[in-house]
Amino acid sequence: MPYISSPASKAALKAGLSVTGVSKEFQSRGRTVQALDDITLALPAGKVGVLLGPSGCGKSTLLRMVAGLEQPSAGNICLNDRMVDQPGRDRGMVFQDYTSFPWLSVRENVAYGLEINRDRDALNEGTVDHFIRAVGLEKFTDAYPHQLSGGMRQRVAIARTLANYPELLLMDEPFGALDPETRWQMQDLLLDVVRKERTTVLVVSHDIEEALYLGDTVFFLSRHPGRLKEIIDTGFKAALPSGDREAFLQSDDYRRLELHIRRLMRDEGRNAA
Amino acid sequence: MTARLSEQATGQARLAPAEHARTRRSPRRWFDFNQTLKGSQRLLLGSLGWLGFFLLWQITSQMELAPDRLYPGPAAVFGSLWELFAEKNFLSDVLSSVTRIVLSFAIAVLIALPIGLLMGSFARVDGVLNPLLGAWRYLPAPAFIPLLLMWLGTGDTQKITLLLMGVVFFLVIMLADVTRQTPKVLIETAKTLGGGRRTTLWTVVFRHSLPGYVDTCRQMLAVSWTYLVIAEIVAATDGIGAMMMRAKRFVHVDDIMAGIVTIGVLGLLFDVLFRLLYRTCFPYLGRGHS
Repeated sequence: MPYISSPASKAALKAGLSVTGVSKEFQSRGRTVQALDDITLALPAGKVGVLLGPSGCGKSTLLRMVAGLEQPSAGNICLNDRMVDQPGRDRGMVFQDYTSFPWLSVRENVAYGLEINRDRDALNEGTVDHFIRAVGLEKFTDAYPHQLSGGMRQRVAIARTLANYPELLLMDEPFGALDPETRWQMQDLLLDVVRKERTTVLVVSHDIEEALYLGDTVFFLSRHPGRLKEIIDTGFKAALPSGDREAFLQSDDYRRLELHIRRLMRDEGRNAA
Repeated sequence: MTARLSEQATGQARLAPAEHARTRRSPRRWFDFNQTLKGSQRLLLGSLGWLGFFLLWQITSQMELAPDRLYPGPAAVFGSLWELFAEKNFLSDVLSSVTRIVLSFAIAVLIALPIGLLMGSFARVDGVLNPLLGAWRYLPAPAFIPLLLMWLGTGDTQKITLLLMGVVFFLVIMLADVTRQTPKVLIETAKTLGGGRRTTLWTVVFRHSLPGYVDTCRQMLAVSWTYLVIAEIVAATDGIGAMMMRAKRFVHVDDIMAGIVTIGVLGLLFDVLFRLLYRTCFPYLGRGHS
């Protein structure tokens, strides 16, 4: 498939992410440690996928391999039919620690990706302002990151990544260090923004509620070695009023799935002990 | 002790709530860990230190421990400093010393910065250069004076080269250390936004390290000043060090001390300039951030 750089046509042609037979081994003190074993999964374009699992299941490693920051030991990863072998603009990543560039203002941070890619068109179209508004930081455009709270800095990171029009948005426990109230707000904000932009998203989480709330599909990984244990579809959310967290939390489907995943987590804990 | 404590407790209990709050607000602790001082307080304490120093100097010089000629008091030294500037054209000495320092240090930074940036960024560059430059760092620059004299003569080139050798190896290693402290996650952020190697090197690694570079230069400039006198003792006709050596020949201890004071004041001045540069160029670091 030819590489098409206009964002609008990109969205139309999205085919999604496919991970095929991916394994990852680490060398640690002369021993080979198998972190991930034969992972195969597919995430259609425009959908939100969540990698959920206990700590040590290799979910972050998988995400980093999709980003191209690490190389799989076996198997391959394709985004929209192109092989992933190094980091690129098509796969933007939001990290757990709020990685704004401290020497750039909010506006400069959000514009950073477009600046280094010399994307004059997007810069002139007001893309930067659009995404600053989308994450609700229009009153802080000239502030430096050290003047912002953790949640606001994470919003900067999300806006900066989205402004770069990635085909896939990767997030590594993006709200893990925030207080519950802020975390809920950020989850709603994220869903709101990615639905409007029709971005494909892959999120790493260890929080069951977050996984079910954000994900169209939840990929549950077991650990030692990391294997894809179950794929959970959250289609039940279509029947619920969108953005209504209370209705979501009180629905029977949520309770059933939450209990089910909790049991999976507990089994993992037993295996480890 | 117990009796006093209970007395205090009952005494406090008897106070009205508002008064109680007021007495509790300023616990008088002169020495506690991690205290921060106001600017005026710092200035006062700093002046106190200097005042004590000059007082001690004045008193000991009047105690006749040594002849006045060999151990003049502060008044005599500042008198000769005035005289040096007014009558003996000391300003031109000071200017040639400052020129040597600034020129040699600028060359040192121009050499050390690209090398340090590459060493701190790329393990393979570091692998080649670190063992080499790390060892050179331990060779004392003054040991090369005989060589430099033969190769470069007695002119300014030799002096500037000596000053350069004194700082450049340290500078490379320290700038590489600063570079290495760039958080990996910022580099990865740039990569996933489409930043290539060159872009990431300049817009993230170099940019993140810049405040650290300025701070390192400030510290290394102080080292440069320590080599100045050594450089100007050998076959020099002008400069602060040369003046001091001339004064030694005629046992003008007050002039020597005036030279030392001048170097101290100049060093401090450059330090202040660097701090000012740091504060104006990196406002994004906020207060109390390094």
